[in-house]
Amino acid sequence: MSYKTDLPVMKPFKPREPEPLLGFRPWHFVVIALIAVFGPSLAFAQAGVPLLTPFAVLLDWVPLLLQGFIFNLAISFLAMALGTALGTLLGLGQISLSRVTRGVSWFLTQFFRNAPWLVLLFFAMFLLPFEINLLGLSIPFPDWFKAILGLSLPVMANVSEIVRGAVKSLPSGQWEAAESLAYSRRQTLWLIILPQCVKRMLPPWMNLYSILTMATVLASIVGVSEVMTLTGQALAAEGGRPELLAPFYGFVLLLFFAYCYPIARFTVRLERKFAVIN
Amino acid sequence: MSNTTMNTLASALIVSAMGLTAASADVLDTIKERGTLVVGVKADYKPYGFLDSSGNIIGIEPDLAKDVADKLGVEVEYVPVVSSNRMQFLEQGKIDLMIATMTDTEDRRKVVQIVDPNYYSSGTNILALKSLGLKEWEDLRGKPVCGIQGAFYNKSTSQNYGAEIVAFTGTAEAYSALKAGNCAAFVYDDSAIVAKTNDPEWSDYEMPLKTIDDAPWGLAVQLGEDEFAALMSDMITEWHTSGRILELETEWGVANTPFAEAMHAKFK
Amino acid sequence: MDVIFEWFRVLYDETGINLPFLYDAYDRNRMIDGFFTTIRLSLVCLFFSVLIGVVGAWLQGSTFKWTRRIVNGYIQLFRNTPPLVQLYFFYFAIGTMLPTVENDWGGQSPILGSFAWAAISLSFFAGAFNVEIFRSGIEAVPKSTVEAAEALGFSRLQIYRDVTLPLAFRVVLPALNNNLVNLVKTTTLAYAIAVPEMLYEANQIWSDNVNVTEMMIFLLLAYFVLVGILVGGMNRWERAMRIPGFG
Repeated sequence: MSYKTDLPVMKPFKPREPEPLLGFRPWHFVVIALIAVFGPSLAFAQAGVPLLTPFAVLLDWVPLLLQGFIFNLAISFLAMALGTALGTLLGLGQISLSRVTRGVSWFLTQFFRNAPWLVLLFFAMFLLPFEINLLGLSIPFPDWFKAILGLSLPVMANVSEIVRGAVKSLPSGQWEAAESLAYSRRQTLWLIILPQCVKRMLPPWMNLYSILTMATVLASIVGVSEVMTLTGQALAAEGGRPELLAPFYGFVLLLFFAYCYPIARFTVRLERKFAVIN
Repeated sequence: MSNTTMNTLASALIVSAMGLTAASADVLDTIKERGTLVVGVKADYKPYGFLDSSGNIIGIEPDLAKDVADKLGVEVEYVPVVSSNRMQFLEQGKIDLMIATMTDTEDRRKVVQIVDPNYYSSGTNILALKSLGLKEWEDLRGKPVCGIQGAFYNKSTSQNYGAEIVAFTGTAEAYSALKAGNCAAFVYDDSAIVAKTNDPEWSDYEMPLKTIDDAPWGLAVQLGEDEFAALMSDMITEWHTSGRILELETEWGVANTPFAEAMHAKFK
Repeated sequence: MDVIFEWFRVLYDETGINLPFLYDAYDRNRMIDGFFTTIRLSLVCLFFSVLIGVVGAWLQGSTFKWTRRIVNGYIQLFRNTPPLVQLYFFYFAIGTMLPTVENDWGGQSPILGSFAWAAISLSFFAGAFNVEIFRSGIEAVPKSTVEAAEALGFSRLQIYRDVTLPLAFRVVLPALNNNLVNLVKTTTLAYAIAVPEMLYEANQIWSDNVNVTEMMIFLLLAYFVLVGILVGGMNRWERAMRIPGFG
């Protein structure tokens, strides 16, 4: 038996977003970055390795690493676009009136949500055909394209859940009013429900994009040439010196932080702006 | 979807499909038509194939690939590969030719067409600290040994000699792990290890064991490309006759391997 | 038992479906080890990330500005950088800087091995998300409840332990479950630093036997079942811990 009580048992639970890094000005970040990247070099300088060398080596490779990072961003855009398109369809399938569609959509969503991203990436890389034959001509699938397909699968499942959650959060009065005004189901969805859902979907969608951007480094494990692969190759070309490890990996961390942190702050602002008072 | 959208999509598809090559033509014709020879080479295996700071792949094998491209009168394009995908790329037609430090084995000949005679050779050996005093392969029993994922000697090293293989995705990670002491030795091709022992960074390390499984390397083309294979066979013979392999080894700082010298003497 | 395994070898010979981790003893042991390593890594990370979450939430309520800032900085750093790069940074960059100890094969090893670093890195990664979740849970406990406890003579620590935490825990359970499931999925990243978990062993097997399709399908099913069991168990627990009249 469940009770309804007016005593303040608990306040509503809403996972809060972390506060901004209080009081940090941009120059603080630069100082922190320098310490993080070159601090380890100081440790090695005790052992006699000159301090400036890792810095100089890193600077040498920075243009190439930046190119790799831009490739990561390109992969993230394309995978997000593809995953969102497929996920919206799947999400609408989950609220469909037909039991079969609902069941199949639910199963696909759960299946791709439960699978680790790396395993799905391997799956796409190894099992997708290397080319498809269309009208007698063959269209090759380059491996970055397979990586995009592999990454779009978990995105699709998560977008499907976001869509379903957003649609369910709308008051049922909307559906009833539309029905009483003789809107068909398709019209209700496209003209009334989904436009209202877009606002609710935006913050979790942007959160998903941030997660996806960070997941693009997984493509390095399956051989796609992006920033982590290039870092590994640069380290190999430099002879695998241990004092270079921290600066190089630290630089990659910095790149991702510089890109994802503003997105996170923007998402918090969006959430406040679109906060729906129920 | 509206009619205009469908039309645009269909035309885009057809236009993009027209720009692509047909699959069934002979690869030599495709290469000449395209004007580029696409070669799969390693990008993390100094000095056989590695990156310079502008991102170009350089090394012994890229130079060999350039020779082939010059012979065909086309440009060369390098595609970086690793042990776990080099054969797949060739099978898929993503690359026309593969010169990527691949050991010639019977199983591999079933998947890709390895060209005879072999162009290079190396065996399996380990890189380990001098202070460890390893003398025999049996000394590795029970010890963690770094390796590269996908290498064919990982299984034999662990099954025959009882070593615990710790496999990493790339050589940079494996060398870092060895330097840090996460493993006792690094099992790899002796050609790479010899080059490493000359590096002043690695002066405390040696290659102590007897090289086993001295196995020739094979460069490969797609199965069924007999004309290309015949051309490559002639090229390899020419490399051995002219001493090109020995010349490249010296240029990139590797001691002349006995196999290369023997082949040069044989074909001279 | 061996009869069942031999059947799979027959299956391979007849149909070409190659499942060496069933009929070959060596591969089978590898796969079972990998499975248990995944489970072990998940449990260790689960435990420590929850611990970090609780401690971090406690520290975030501190009166000292710098404590709050440091915890906040940690959260922002670990939430906005890829866990794979964090893993590499911990294992390769920081690992090489720590002192070494004598080990049993006569050389010097870093104090922490790959499993330890994977556990540390993933715990910190998941912990960063947990801190905010626990903090929100603590804030969802009404002040009146805490004041009532104070009026009854509970000390601050007793209030935190006996009143706030139990209530907060029940409230955060859904969000926490989501996090923990993600953590289990993220353990596959340990593959990159050669922790012998399920994906790593599967990769070894398919490198040796060139049977990628079968291994991939097996992996997908294995993780689906593992995560499915976890999700099902968590849902049961959530229902058992529900607060009447709330939600």
